[in-house]
Amino acid sequence: MATQSSTREEDLVNKLKTRFPDAIKGSKIEGNHRITIPFDKDKLLDIAQFMRDELGFDHVKGVAGVDDPTHKKIEVFYFTGSFSKPEIEDLIVVLQAELPRDSPTIASAVSVWESAHFHERETFEMFGVKFEGHPDLRKLLTLDNWDGPPPMLKDIKFPEMGQR
Amino acid sequence: MYEGIKHIFKRTFTLKYPYQKVLLPKGFRGRHILYMEKCTGCGICAWICPERCISFVQAADGKDHPQNPENRFPQYWYARCCFCHFCTDYCPTGALDYSPDYELAEYDRELLVWSPERLSKVPTNVGNYRSAFHGNNGSMGVTYEPVEKQPKT
Amino acid sequence: MTANLDQTKTPAPPIVIAAAKEPSTLDVSVGPQHPGSGHLRMLIRVDGDYIVSVDPDIGYVHRGCEKIAEYRTAVSNIPHLERPCIIDAIHLNWGYVLPIEELQGVVVPPRGQYISTIAAEMNRIMSHLYWLAINAGVFSGHTTIFMYAFGDRDLFIELAEMLTGARLTYSFLPPGGPRRDLPAEFKDRLLKLLDYFERRLVEYDRIFFSNPLVIARAKGIGTLKREEAIKLGLTGPVLRGSGVKYDVRKVEPYGAYADLDFEIPTFEEGDSYARFLVRFEEMKQSIKIIRQALEKMPKGPIARKAPLIIPEGEAIARVESSRGELVYMVKGDNSDKPSRVKIMNGSFRTLIALPYLLRNVHVADMPIIYGSLDYWPVEADR
Repeated sequence: MATQSSTREEDLVNKLKTRFPDAIKGSKIEGNHRITIPFDKDKLLDIAQFMRDELGFDHVKGVAGVDDPTHKKIEVFYFTGSFSKPEIEDLIVVLQAELPRDSPTIASAVSVWESAHFHERETFEMFGVKFEGHPDLRKLLTLDNWDGPPPMLKDIKFPEMGQR
Repeated sequence: MYEGIKHIFKRTFTLKYPYQKVLLPKGFRGRHILYMEKCTGCGICAWICPERCISFVQAADGKDHPQNPENRFPQYWYARCCFCHFCTDYCPTGALDYSPDYELAEYDRELLVWSPERLSKVPTNVGNYRSAFHGNNGSMGVTYEPVEKQPKT
Repeated sequence: MTANLDQTKTPAPPIVIAAAKEPSTLDVSVGPQHPGSGHLRMLIRVDGDYIVSVDPDIGYVHRGCEKIAEYRTAVSNIPHLERPCIIDAIHLNWGYVLPIEELQGVVVPPRGQYISTIAAEMNRIMSHLYWLAINAGVFSGHTTIFMYAFGDRDLFIELAEMLTGARLTYSFLPPGGPRRDLPAEFKDRLLKLLDYFERRLVEYDRIFFSNPLVIARAKGIGTLKREEAIKLGLTGPVLRGSGVKYDVRKVEPYGAYADLDFEIPTFEEGDSYARFLVRFEEMKQSIKIIRQALEKMPKGPIARKAPLIIPEGEAIARVESSRGELVYMVKGDNSDKPSRVKIMNGSFRTLIALPYLLRNVHVADMPIIYGSLDYWPVEADR
């Protein structure tokens, strides 16, 4: 029933918007299974706590960073899902935060979602995003003595691989 | 214990390699065959190659190729090729083909660069194999729906 | 040096409590090179025969997969992105083309979906046979099952070679649908192989899964309770072995799975033996899926020609690979190359279970726990 499932997603978005009216900056619902919600990065812990306790999103599938040098920002995406509640188990809710490119910092979600532990370490190493409050923030995948810029930023280019 | 003992009485499957070779199926992804009379030098194979192992050189066989105005043909660097055969599938004229030739080892690294003339030779060193050429319609049994009927979903 | 994941209430053996008061532990590096499963370094802190804590130090096979993916065209990316877990190549390939097809607006015809499904389930059987041979077999010392499982896996590989042309590196699903149709004798040979394989699964049960030695080594070891598995965000057979019935093929069906009838094996105990049994049962379910798909295969075209440009936007899609839920996010910017490819695979999410489970256990339990998690280091490192 198409109308019923779109109200399920709209329901979730409305609950978030009523609880955090100024921190949620909009929403995008695609199809039946994807909701994208840009939010204000300072309110991460409150939103995460609300999503875990009230709405039932109990784990994070991944944390992605996207570099955008033209708009001078780095976006951090949290892909959250639910295993425990069958009525929302097919949704992926993507929380998007925008961080300034010169000094990207955001609070760590590990206190709420423990599954974000290694994903945040990888985003720290690849994009230079500092997660404050992470219990063990150090390099994960690159060499121990790598001291260059964060590898996934668009500053590092490989001209021998062709045009980008 | 019983499982182990009953295998003593089964025959072995080992092939004595240089004298007996595996029967390869049709469309096995070995090295490429280039039909020089069909290649137009468009460059799609080089663009789509994931390993960038195709470059273009002038043909040196002395023949006239009217369909290829700039007389440029692909040259393969087999040290890089991953044998995905996207070049074969995406070639618009069907100038590339599969072959069951997998014995490409050389003693000199330079010999791994295959010129277009060397590529156009049909392999004869592959022992007994079923016919593995996909024919010249370039499709391996694939049918596409015509472009006008694709729904806009 | 250790990650702060100390949230268990399991009582430590007295020897470990005594050891914590005096520094008598030894740091052992379970070295970066493992010819069996892939290269992963675990720094283990042992006290006598007990592992006190472990710190996984991954990254030995990291090669910047996501960065390189931005320099290749959408189709050229396929051989590149299927290499992280090459024994499970169809799933990694399929998960990558689903967002691209969504962005381009290309719908694969039904016959193409069925062919992709059959190839994917064959790949799942092959990947589980590799797991059975190496991770469950060789790591626990059982080399007979190693030879049996690899022998049977080779029969499946020959069939995949008949279908796609390559033994392991298929690159079979560009955007728009499969590259080739089923060859003429493929269906009969596959059905014959499935009958043979079902008889072999009975043999596997007799020599491995009901083997009292394996049961003694694996039962009750490395227990993950249901709430812990959900909280740690695990996925795949590890999650289903702890009692959570979650499978992307049922939750968000893709391909032909919506029309096919199969079950999701789930076990409640959460120990290593339950995880072994989940994969064993999944192989049986895969046989059932392939048989139904071969019977119900519709006729018609198998593919659509897809454009060679990725339009602007971003799309997220997921498939159920052999190691868990594989989520891809592809962001395009109207050029032929994607501007960001993010891969979230089952092995990387299983990484968090390693420091959690390898605590207060014997050193000899480590291969069993590690094998039951089916952690593929190359996939996790990308």
